[in-house]
Amino acid sequence: MSTDEMSTVEAPKMPRANTVYGNIVYWVTIVSCIICMIGPVISVAYPDNNTLNPYKLFNAIFEGKDAQTVWQEVGGGFPGGHFYLKNFTQGDGFTQFGLALGCSVALWVLIATAVAYFADRNYLYVSLAIWVSIMVALSMVGIFAAH
Amino acid sequence: MRKFFRSPWLEVNVMLAVLIISYLALALITNAAETEPGAMTGGAIFGWLFGFFFLSFAIALVAVIGGIGGGVLFTPVMLAFTPVDSLIVRATGLIVAMFSGLVSTGPFMKGGLANLKICIFCAAAYGVGAFAGAQGAIYVAQHLGDTGEGLIRLALGGILCSLAVYFLVGGKKIEWPEVKKVDGFTKKLHLSQPYLEVSLNKVIDYPLTRAGWVLGAIVGVGILSGFFGLGAGWAIVPAQNVIMAVPLKVAAANSGVLLGMGDCIAVWPYLLMGAIIPVFAAPWLVGQVLGGLLGALILIRVKAGFVRYLLIGFMFFSCFGLLTKGLIMLGVIKAVPVWVTGLVFIGIFAAVTRSIINFTRSES
Repeated sequence: MSTDEMSTVEAPKMPRANTVYGNIVYWVTIVSCIICMIGPVISVAYPDNNTLNPYKLFNAIFEGKDAQTVWQEVGGGFPGGHFYLKNFTQGDGFTQFGLALGCSVALWVLIATAVAYFADRNYLYVSLAIWVSIMVALSMVGIFAAH
Repeated sequence: MRKFFRSPWLEVNVMLAVLIISYLALALITNAAETEPGAMTGGAIFGWLFGFFFLSFAIALVAVIGGIGGGVLFTPVMLAFTPVDSLIVRATGLIVAMFSGLVSTGPFMKGGLANLKICIFCAAAYGVGAFAGAQGAIYVAQHLGDTGEGLIRLALGGILCSLAVYFLVGGKKIEWPEVKKVDGFTKKLHLSQPYLEVSLNKVIDYPLTRAGWVLGAIVGVGILSGFFGLGAGWAIVPAQNVIMAVPLKVAAANSGVLLGMGDCIAVWPYLLMGAIIPVFAAPWLVGQVLGGLLGALILIRVKAGFVRYLLIGFMFFSCFGLLTKGLIMLGVIKAVPVWVTGLVFIGIFAAVTRSIINFTRSES
């Protein structure tokens, strides 16, 4: 083995930025997961209290219809990616909130990580963390477009 | 008994409890539901929701150990065996790729197996590449057409096949790469981070090199990922390992963290265009989180050789997909039947299983 092995077997202390990053991502993902477990139950329990009726939705998806057609035929049109903000108590609105929470975690966590690096005076990684978080933010508001 | 009330088992138990209650409630509600005209029966919906969760759990378990996004397994299976629209499949595939990476981030960071500096360094480059790739896709597609895209896929397949062979014959050199000289740029980045290698019960401090080259390679990976909508795990692990000399297990853990971080950029355009349908995507997310967490706890404990064989299997399977797709686009062959893809998958993973068994025997 060419790597430098040290004699001690005590685990080295992790840098503060690592623990900040790891903990925030981990717990936000778990919360997001629990929301996505409960959301579909609300959705099938109250099918009329949804943007997309789940019983009709699954039928449309398994008929091979594309996303736009599914939204149009089952929900009367796509209300926008952030529709959970106005439909938080709906089954699919609540589920979409869980998805959005998990999908935006990199933004919040990289800002916190940049603060941790700043406290350690590691300015190169402060700027890199902010740079990546800006890319996530641009993507969230729709400036990064899919092809 | 006490350990089940401490992290990570406490949250695993809470999630399992919510999962069981949720699926019991789903079973009862869907069983009692009346079917309207033009709607799916409650029993069928429950079957799909449970089936999605179960498949997602299995995919996440192996994907995290191999350091790949689960999309490489999810997308072909969904496209081959269901009539679901390809854009919905690809968009849900991103959820599959990112959430196992996100949940495995916690254990990897806590144990030090993943290196946050390398991840942020690579994510900065990956994001730029993915953005450029997505923006340039329409322009280039208009100029290259199917022939150009087919040729690029063939070239990628060839590169990946060469890397898989290199990983196969490389042995310990791949698991623990040698660094003869650390260049000035890499030294200035202070990327190394010692960690406790649980499988060896040793603290490992790994020197790194050629960070500038890996930056270029990751931009390239990002461009391809954005351009083709491909998962990038299969390329990120070898890029770190072969170019920068990152130990294989660290590269696999970094890849998981990086996929979680980078796909937060890639997934939003799909969310904003409605290609991710919440109730359809939710069971995939739940399976990824539970499977990914378990996979991360396994990866921390397994030996690097185990990861190497698993990764070789994924690389050969991805290589098969790229080469056949390239040849189809060039009009050389017709569409590959599902049973051939299944047979190739079974053949590759039978060989991987045999190699892992032999490796485990030789180690013990």
